[in-house]
Amino acid sequence: MNDAMSIPHLIMNASGVVQAVMLLLLIGSLLSWVVIFQRSFVMRRARKAHREFEDRFWSGVDLNELYRETPAEQDTLGTEHIFRAGFREFNRLLPKTRSPQAILDGVQRSMRVAWSREEDRLNLHLVFLATVASSSPYIGLFGTVWGIMGSFQSLSMAQQATLATVAPWIAEALIATAMGLFAAIPAVIFYNRLSAESSRLLGKYEDFAEEFHSILHRNLQGRGETTEG
Amino acid sequence: MARQHRRVGYGLPTLLAIALHLGILVVSVIRFPSSDTEPPSQSVVQATLVSAETATDQAQRADEPPASAKEDESSEDEATRRAEEEEARRQQEAEEQRQREAEAERQRQAEQERAEALEAARAAAEEAERRAEEARAQAERREQQEAERERQAEEEARRQREAEEQRQREAEAERQRQAEEEARRQREAEEQRQREAEAERQRQAEEEARRQQEAEEQRQREAEAERQRQAEEEARRQREAEEQRQREQAAQRAAEAAQNSLDRAIAGEAEAAANAEQAQEAANGFINLVRQAVEQAWVIPPNVGDNANALVAIRLGPSGEVFSASIARSSGNSAFDRAAIQAVESAAPFSELRELPASVQRDYREFNLNFRPGDIR
Repeated sequence: MNDAMSIPHLIMNASGVVQAVMLLLLIGSLLSWVVIFQRSFVMRRARKAHREFEDRFWSGVDLNELYRETPAEQDTLGTEHIFRAGFREFNRLLPKTRSPQAILDGVQRSMRVAWSREEDRLNLHLVFLATVASSSPYIGLFGTVWGIMGSFQSLSMAQQATLATVAPWIAEALIATAMGLFAAIPAVIFYNRLSAESSRLLGKYEDFAEEFHSILHRNLQGRGETTEG
Repeated sequence: MARQHRRVGYGLPTLLAIALHLGILVVSVIRFPSSDTEPPSQSVVQATLVSAETATDQAQRADEPPASAKEDESSEDEATRRAEEEEARRQQEAEEQRQREAEAERQRQAEQERAEALEAARAAAEEAERRAEEARAQAERREQQEAERERQAEEEARRQREAEEQRQREAEAERQRQAEEEARRQREAEEQRQREAEAERQRQAEEEARRQQEAEEQRQREAEAERQRQAEEEARRQREAEEQRQREQAAQRAAEAAQNSLDRAIAGEAEAAANAEQAQEAANGFINLVRQAVEQAWVIPPNVGDNANALVAIRLGPSGEVFSASIARSSGNSAFDRAAIQAVESAAPFSELRELPASVQRDYREFNLNFRPGDIR
């Protein structure tokens, strides 16, 4: 490769606007990869935690005992959080009202709130990935257009218009598009992957909430029969 | 329950992202078209998926007996459901295992195919390269042959030209030598004839004189002795005078002859000198003509300094056509040099060369013209 046409040389010699575009794209790419790694770890942990908690929950342990074992409200995540919110509401409402319907409504509302928080937590920063994915090709294209404009301006000033006078300009302009695509492609792929994973996890949480609700319902039903009978 | 720290910080992801970008940068600097970022992260995710599943399954199996033992409320339908679920999960697990195996098999096959394809592509590329190499070598060889042929033809032409010139020179010399020889022979013959005629005349005169003298003597002898003596004396005096006169005459004639030959030689020399002068004049006229013609055909390019100065070496053929015009000393301005050569070529057939005397034609077959803006020398 020619030294004058090597990638670092071209980037160093690019015009100010194109260099700014490249810097912006580099920062976007870095941040999107930070988000990708961070979200991947979060999803992995959440999946693992959900599986562990579900196993423990369905292992037939006493719910009160399970509630005592789980840590305080702020530290809990995922299914544990939903279970905790629902069970606490259940325990709080149980002495106050006789109506099973009111208790179940309260429990359901409380669990919906917890589920909404979980959704918010899982989808955090995914919007940034979507932004990078959709905007960085346009930013790169802008840099390319600007660079090619500069190349034509220099062409108009040159005495002899050869390919050698415009080639470096066009090459450096095209680097901007390449960087835009380089930032956008992983962002698109991981945005789709991570959002699919997040919605799957949220679906599992919802299933758990329904199951827990049905357990509590059954429990109330039994308790109502015993009190009536 | 295992207490792991729940919150995922941003430090490790940042480090990973920076490391990834640095790696890509290094790879792109070392070799440009290879930026494949996806495989490493995907492989990380897959690896965790598999390991987590197996760990959970083991934990679940370990937790199985106490689960059935400690069941207290709402037992039966829950148990059946759990059993069903268990069954389903096991089936799913087996299914997944099968799928994984099939996947691995497919991957292996794909890998093998890809390797084969790669191999084939590489072989094809090598083949193509080899063929291109061969073609290039052949083209080179052909070019070399071409150049060789051209060079030989040029050599041949040069040799022929030289031989031609040599022949002409020789013929010229021969002609000159013959003419000289002829002239010398003629001069010699003339001299010989003159000498012979002179001798003949002298001999005749002597004879005449002797006869006269004899007759005189006879007459005198027949006449008186005195008169004889007188006559004799007279005759002797006469004879002496005659002899003197004749000697003088002969000397004069010889001197005359010598004078004649000298005159002739002087005249020949003068003629030769006149010839040379005429040739010189004609040659000067020829050079002037060439200079005028070239000057008329010369277009001086713009942006040429006044001190630009190009020397063009010109070689003419026998009939005045230009064999070659080349820059002997460049002016430093290539446009100026080109214009000078073009001027010579467009003024080209200098047919005045044929009107020159043959002796000087040779000298004006090669000459240099000095171009500078303003005049040609």
